[in-house]
Amino acid sequence: MKFTICPAKPEDCKDIERMIMELAVYEKMPDQVKISHKELERDGFGPNPFYQCVVAEVPEEHMSKDGHTKVGYALFFYTYSTWKGRTVFMEDLYVMPEYRGKGIGKALMATVAKVAKEQHCVRLQFSVLDWNKPSLDFYLAKGAEDLTAKEGWHFLRFHGIALDNLAQEAP
Amino acid sequence: MDKFILRRAEPKDVSDILRLIKELANFEKMEDQVILTEKDLLEDGFGDHPFYHCMVAEVPKQHQSADGHVIVGFAMYYFTYDPWIGKLLYLEDFYVMKEYRGFGIGSEILKKLSETAVRTRCSSMHFIVAEWNKPSIDFYKRRGAADLSLEEGWRLFKIDKQNLLKMSSEE
Repeated sequence: MKFTICPAKPEDCKDIERMIMELAVYEKMPDQVKISHKELERDGFGPNPFYQCVVAEVPEEHMSKDGHTKVGYALFFYTYSTWKGRTVFMEDLYVMPEYRGKGIGKALMATVAKVAKEQHCVRLQFSVLDWNKPSLDFYLAKGAEDLTAKEGWHFLRFHGIALDNLAQEAP
Repeated sequence: MDKFILRRAEPKDVSDILRLIKELANFEKMEDQVILTEKDLLEDGFGDHPFYHCMVAEVPKQHQSADGHVIVGFAMYYFTYDPWIGKLLYLEDFYVMKEYRGFGIGSEILKKLSETAVRTRCSSMHFIVAEWNKPSIDFYKRRGAADLSLEEGWRLFKIDKQNLLKMSSEE
């Protein structure tokens, strides 16, 4: 099946919002999605974008049963390692189930890797849920290493009220 | 010692920042993994497109360290993006020299960071901690941090330059 991978445009944000929700449903956390295409447009296409996104599109004759031709995306941004320097963090990688097995996921990831290489980034990082075996297998086959298993790194966060409380703490 | 100031890092601070990065890496038992140089820090933090932001803690000369340093702590952060909740502040490194702990420097740094997060419309502040680093985990949990690796099963993965280059040339 033919497909193209292109940088996302503001008008793609509705499709990206749709696929973000599909991925959140797969990750069993749809109630955690709080932003819409409006925030995606504002935050990704202003003078100071907070993320980059590439979208996979199929020709009209292969559109999904709901009439979509945008069938996958990768959302990423630049981060910084005090040990190694510039890195890329791939926040989301998703291909609609009926379009898998055609090399689209691989091509999306290759595009992110190409951008990383052009920007002199030394590493690509991302997170995967521990029960997500298909994704774990996909990434391990590409040479990914599980730093949580290998080095014991855990993700922590201050969120919502905890963040507000911290900001108001007396010195 | 009760006097210290927190301020935005300047280009002249890169030598102290690298020194503190190495001290922290040494504590994390991974000092040999630091390949970043002062030149990288200068270019990447103070050029046209900063990859990171940095805040330093400075003490008056009369309280300088045994080796004559007045920059005794730092925090490096940048902005990331969560497709579910939008902008995040990501705390990459956070360190206070051993002999300057217990004076509230760490707490004040964390407070300033959380103020920055709230002011810049971030929903959350994220970071990673090694699971064996009990003092740090306790420090953060006491202040309301949640461990997403434990609570939701997120694991951190990396793909290094060699495999990135391989992927970027894949079709």
